[in-house]
Amino acid sequence: MLISVRELHRIYQVGSEQVHALNGVDFDVGPNEYLAVMGPSGSGKSTLMNIIGCLDTPTRGSYRLKDREIGKLSDDELARIRNQEIGFVFQTFNLLPRADALHNVELPLVYAGLRHEERRKRAREALELVGLADRMKHKPNELSGGQRQRVAIARALVNKPSIILADEPTGNLDTATGEEIMAAFENIWKAGNTVILVTHEADIAAHARRVVRMRDGKIESDTRDGSRREAAEPRAVAAGPSGGMA
Amino acid sequence: MNLRESAGLSLRALRANKMRSFLTLLGTIIGVMSVIAVLSFVEGLNRFVSEKMLNAGANAFWVDPYGFVTSQEQWDAVKNHPEITVDDADALRAGVPHAALIVAQADGRVTARYRNKEVRGVEVRGRSPGYEVVDDYTVAAGRQLGETDDLRRQLVCVLGAEVAEELFPGLDPLERRVRLGAETYQVVGVMASKGKMFGQSQDRFAAIPIRTFLKFKSDRRSVTIAVKSRDQASLPLAQQETRIVLRGRRHLRPGVPDNFGITTSDNVLDLYRTLTGGIFVVTIGVAAISLLVGGIVIMNIMLVSVTERTREIGLRKAMGARRRDILTQFLVEATTLSLSGGLIGTLAGVLLALLAGALSPLPTAVSLPAVVMGIVMSAVIGMFFGSYPAWRAARLDPIEALRHE
Repeated sequence: MLISVRELHRIYQVGSEQVHALNGVDFDVGPNEYLAVMGPSGSGKSTLMNIIGCLDTPTRGSYRLKDREIGKLSDDELARIRNQEIGFVFQTFNLLPRADALHNVELPLVYAGLRHEERRKRAREALELVGLADRMKHKPNELSGGQRQRVAIARALVNKPSIILADEPTGNLDTATGEEIMAAFENIWKAGNTVILVTHEADIAAHARRVVRMRDGKIESDTRDGSRREAAEPRAVAAGPSGGMA
Repeated sequence: MNLRESAGLSLRALRANKMRSFLTLLGTIIGVMSVIAVLSFVEGLNRFVSEKMLNAGANAFWVDPYGFVTSQEQWDAVKNHPEITVDDADALRAGVPHAALIVAQADGRVTARYRNKEVRGVEVRGRSPGYEVVDDYTVAAGRQLGETDDLRRQLVCVLGAEVAEELFPGLDPLERRVRLGAETYQVVGVMASKGKMFGQSQDRFAAIPIRTFLKFKSDRRSVTIAVKSRDQASLPLAQQETRIVLRGRRHLRPGVPDNFGITTSDNVLDLYRTLTGGIFVVTIGVAAISLLVGGIVIMNIMLVSVTERTREIGLRKAMGARRRDILTQFLVEATTLSLSGGLIGTLAGVLLALLAGALSPLPTAVSLPAVVMGIVMSAVIGMFFGSYPAWRAARLDPIEALRHE
């Protein structure tokens, strides 16, 4: 299993009150799955995503990523795992405003300690992959919303992570552009990556092959879309590369 | 993230907000600028003193009744000392074998006149022969004052270049008769010009024999005796011999303190060093305050920058930046910021020093240690005052930072 979550609890101290954001979550994600996590706000989906993205650690329970227990790691070790294993795509793109597209995509490679020439080369490849070969020298304010999100996707892909983690990736885009971005995720998944979407929109979640619904810090349902299952048959691609980890 | 990139990034940010950057750096700029300017001035003074003043006074000391007095107590102790006379000078000439030259001197101020022309505020210098060596002048025309002039109390004079120029424009001054105060003197020589020192002309004088001076120009008999030793090594010996001769003439018993004073150029230098040391301390104080203020402003602007860029910090952390990466980035930014201020301040200070040197009589010389110190100091300021904002940035929680509006 790529991700293995057992009895996961996350408790926040808000003033004198304890908030159980996660209240015993169990689930697994295999390589090359395309998964959407849905739920109303306050359902715990953001907390779960933060923990899966190694931005946060569980209060109790176990989260194993590629057979490594995450809960026990130090800040610097978590930073290293985020760098190597997770590719983030945010609702608000979160690009550096003063840097051009190429430089933005290079960012994870900077913290991976790659040399300048290698970073340039890989950032170019990633931008070509999302169809922005002719926009490399453009700054975010010179790009459309869809183009910005594609830069962000290139940035998420550039270090060949195990998981692409997208938090409401179409939330700031119009429907047509949103569809364009979802098509990009479809391609990424077909290329052998594991994609986890967090969304509250059902038609966005419908793109995924598996939907996990959350409520009150627990998993309410976990359904696989049978009709599309052939395309995502895990066994068919299990031997293939999942990102760069194979 | 390597240093070069961080520095490049922050330089770009600096250029993007030129006015804000300039205002931020004003304190640092002023601090470094004042250090460089003042130290350049002190350095210029140092060179000037060692080159000019001490050349003339090299291996020389001065005998007068009082010595080098720097306080009221000292003055109270020496004010009743007997006069030093021309006879003392003659005695020293006989009794100090290590002296190369002994010159009795006394000064006054008169108005010089020739026909309808007059020059006010001319310094009359009573001197015994050889004075041109001690005073460091060369004669441009005519001759120097001689032994005979002195002994016969002749009414002869050697004019400074400026006096000669103003009294005799277009004329040859030699053999002409000039009035210095009440008496008329024959001009026997003209000195070569020495130019200005601290804006004061060094050529506005008339030299006459010391005995002539004492006869006509002074109601007191007291003179100062300049003694120039044969070389550096014989300077203390010459001083020793001088004391023996003078104590003998005054019948001072062993154990009784000297009732005359000996001043060396070291005394003058010590006072000078104390003075410039004072300037140095004050400058450092002023600079320290403006650098402190400058540092606080930099800390403030860095705190603002950390707040403004909270999301960027969160993003960088999500992309795998460790605490120390963020810390380094903001430290480098603060250092780049204050170092830019330091460089601008250095440039401004050097320009100020050169400008002051060109436009005023103040001697200036750019002091390399001051430049190095200014730059190093500004870098240290940046690192010191940048460390708190950098630490704040580094310990931001990535989730909250990403959520920050």
